[in-house]
Amino acid sequence: MAAATDDINGKDRFGLAAALLTPIVIINAIVFIVPIVNLLRISFNEALPGGGIGPAFTWENWVNLIEDSYYLEILLRSVWMSALITLLTLFCSYPIALYLHRASGAWRTFLFVLVIAPLLTSAVVRTYGWIAMLADNGLVNTALSWFGAPTPFRLIFNLTGIIIGLTEILMPYMILALLAGFGRLDPRCEEAALTLGARPLQAFWRIVVPLTAPGIALGCFFCFVLCVSSFITPRILGGGRVFLLATEIYDEAIVTLNWPGAATLSILVLIVFGAALALYTRALRRLD
Amino acid sequence: MREGTGGGAPAGEDAYLSLQHLGKRYSDFTAVHDLTLNVPRGELVALLGPSGCGKTTTLRMIAGLASATSGRVIVNGNDITTAPPYRRDMGVVFQSYALFPHMTVAKNVAFGLQMRNVAKPEIERRVQEAIGMVRLGGMEDRRPRALSGGQQQRVALARALVIRPSTLLFDEPLSNLDAKLRDEMRTEIREIQQRLGITAVFVTHDQAEALAMCDKVAVMNAGRLEQLGAPVDLYERPANPFVASFVGRINRLPAVAHGKSAKVGAHELRLTSTLNGEVEVMIRPHRIAIGRTGEMGGFNQVPGVVKRVTYVGDLVQYDVDVDGLTWSVEQPTTAARAPDAPGSRVDLSWRIADTLAFAKRA
Amino acid sequence: MEEKSTGWPLKIAVAILFVFLLVPVLVIIPLSFSGESTLKFPPASWSLRWYAAIFEHEEMLSGFRVSVVIGALVTSMTLLIALPAAYVIVRLKSWGSEFLYNLFTAPLLLPTIVLGLAILIIFASAGLLGTFTGIALGHLVLTLPYALRILATSLAGLPIIVEEAAATLGARPFTVFRRITLPLIAPGLLSAAALSFLVSFDEIVITLFLAGPRVSTLPVEMFRHLETRADPLIAAIAVLMISLTLTVVLIIHRSVGLSKGFLR
Repeated sequence: MAAATDDINGKDRFGLAAALLTPIVIINAIVFIVPIVNLLRISFNEALPGGGIGPAFTWENWVNLIEDSYYLEILLRSVWMSALITLLTLFCSYPIALYLHRASGAWRTFLFVLVIAPLLTSAVVRTYGWIAMLADNGLVNTALSWFGAPTPFRLIFNLTGIIIGLTEILMPYMILALLAGFGRLDPRCEEAALTLGARPLQAFWRIVVPLTAPGIALGCFFCFVLCVSSFITPRILGGGRVFLLATEIYDEAIVTLNWPGAATLSILVLIVFGAALALYTRALRRLD
Repeated sequence: MREGTGGGAPAGEDAYLSLQHLGKRYSDFTAVHDLTLNVPRGELVALLGPSGCGKTTTLRMIAGLASATSGRVIVNGNDITTAPPYRRDMGVVFQSYALFPHMTVAKNVAFGLQMRNVAKPEIERRVQEAIGMVRLGGMEDRRPRALSGGQQQRVALARALVIRPSTLLFDEPLSNLDAKLRDEMRTEIREIQQRLGITAVFVTHDQAEALAMCDKVAVMNAGRLEQLGAPVDLYERPANPFVASFVGRINRLPAVAHGKSAKVGAHELRLTSTLNGEVEVMIRPHRIAIGRTGEMGGFNQVPGVVKRVTYVGDLVQYDVDVDGLTWSVEQPTTAARAPDAPGSRVDLSWRIADTLAFAKRA
Repeated sequence: MEEKSTGWPLKIAVAILFVFLLVPVLVIIPLSFSGESTLKFPPASWSLRWYAAIFEHEEMLSGFRVSVVIGALVTSMTLLIALPAAYVIVRLKSWGSEFLYNLFTAPLLLPTIVLGLAILIIFASAGLLGTFTGIALGHLVLTLPYALRILATSLAGLPIIVEEAAATLGARPFTVFRRITLPLIAPGLLSAAALSFLVSFDEIVITLFLAGPRVSTLPVEMFRHLETRADPLIAAIAVLMISLTLTVVLIIHRSVGLSKGFLR
């Protein structure tokens, strides 16, 4: 392991490096490169009835996708739902991120841990927590009934439940992204604004928000793509009755066994990703 | 002028460490060109030069941390050019000390002995001895992060010495220390090296350090050896303008020579050797006497006007205008005489022998 | 950093939002002690019946066993594969290393639903569906990038010159690795191991595509259970899972410090 030397025995070193990289290259090939490339190709294969992939090349899957309004509906629903959730998550996360950014020492570390802690549990567990919250007999309905509200509100097994649940589940990601982007926020800028006569709210809008804009853009991008491809939470909180891109992929693959169709939908998800990325990069450039 | 004199003792006879036509070439540039250097046994040789001159690369090639693209490294008659670093039996002291952060001082020092499978009781004895030699007794169980820079440097030194290497290599070990500590360590290192009689190579960019510590100094520039010699030789008889201006302060004056004299501005100066055409005349600032002295034999002399006077305590520095060129003159301060004030007309005089001149390089 | 006196409105908002953030996970704990036979919060009665019920659900027990075994398997494979790769990437200073790093962390950029589907299709023809190997490989695609990141950062923090010093003192390359490199990156190794285990243990989406009737993990079984009904059984299992996660995190914190271990 000619660790430190510049190019001691150049050829030997190259051989050693290649050997050390082989395992990861092989694994990556088996479970990443080959499957993804194959996926792209499969979407152009015909779907055999009853499951299976035919060898012929066909545009059928794509034609289907474009023509059937069902898929358009699913796409639109996924996109606007994700956009809405992104905004809600932003509003819920920004104050926490700001507060965390200004905190210091052990208190800050403690809060940081609290934010990250939910991420260490399985998506199933977090979603289950929301079932406990939103079910007809759950925490929210029970609490509201104590205030005399006409419960039960249908907060679960519908789009509402998904929106509430996903917002909370994605908050840690948004907070982390915002914090990453807050680096540029120097408390002295706010102080300068105040000494120049700005009231706190004005200082906030005119100084803090613009300076944290890159963080906001990153957080929104991050949150949006996580949302669009989210499966477990929408599936469970939607009760199998809300149809989104991710749930559709799962259904086509596992239930209908239409793998080419599922592959096509996957590529659609990637296209949505790409569009989001393009928007994000443009936003970043405009912000600089 | 002598260009790139390789040298020292003739190869193979007296030389303990011999670099023969050593070179290091990368795809886009050459760090070391054809370096030939012989170090006699027990001598401390400095590799001196500005950053990027190739001195550290050369040291790393000697240590085996970089591979030579051409040439050979010979130690005590053995060609070790292709030997890996762990077989070269050299003690290396790095600029950043490179102590093992997870080991105590004692364990750091013991490491090299463990690699050589020395018996445990012997290791303990020698570690104690080495720690004592660098005067760090009592610090055996401390971790590097609990030590000051100077103390860490001593540990690095002890670690390199304890293995009783055939050669000691220093890579700018003192540049991270403050001035006073540097002086102290400099003396200590030299003292230990001489006492143990170990052949050593010391890389530095500080010419004062090189001159003060070492038996011989090898001045390097852009990958080439400019001159190898004892400190006094480098200072008094530099081989070329680079060495002359790198070692000590010096005035550089463009001139035109014809035979044994040269014309600088409007004045004729006498030279010590014969030259023709465009030359650079170089004179040390403190070899120039300042004052109204009148004509003197055996001396060169020019008139000038004092532009600026800087009082530095031990010295007075003058910037003197001679025909539009600024000459730098240094004089020790004396209570007997106040420095000449700016604006005064003065004569600058110096021994003809102190007039260095080199043909202008193409 | 200067303490800025934050206004009350912000503090109140933050408090409320933190509650919003943490309650869903916290509410599971009391729910697991419910004495009811259906999900009701707050429960009218308390008991340990649901913890006991876990042992009557063979699929949960077997799911747990499989998750642990696969977790251990994946963790060891991840370290063995990612460490050499991280070493090459960090010590090989050229454009190549950045390219390799990006290539090997790329899987994290894709949604798991897409990865799951892609791997399913390939594994189907290779007969790897519903097998330990298959699921382990599926987890590797996620744990390797995380481990690589942590190990690369750890190695980058170890100055080459210290390894060089050891070499000049007579240590052969493997000895340098064993006595110098490994001890100094031990915290990173521990973090990478913990994270790999947790990622594998909690993984659901890719595993859903790869699990079979005979080999299935705990999260998958929990998901299947929730597809048809929602009772406090899942709460009890969830509490146990959270305890396991907390234990692992605490171990890391004790040996490495939470800020160094996880906050990269």
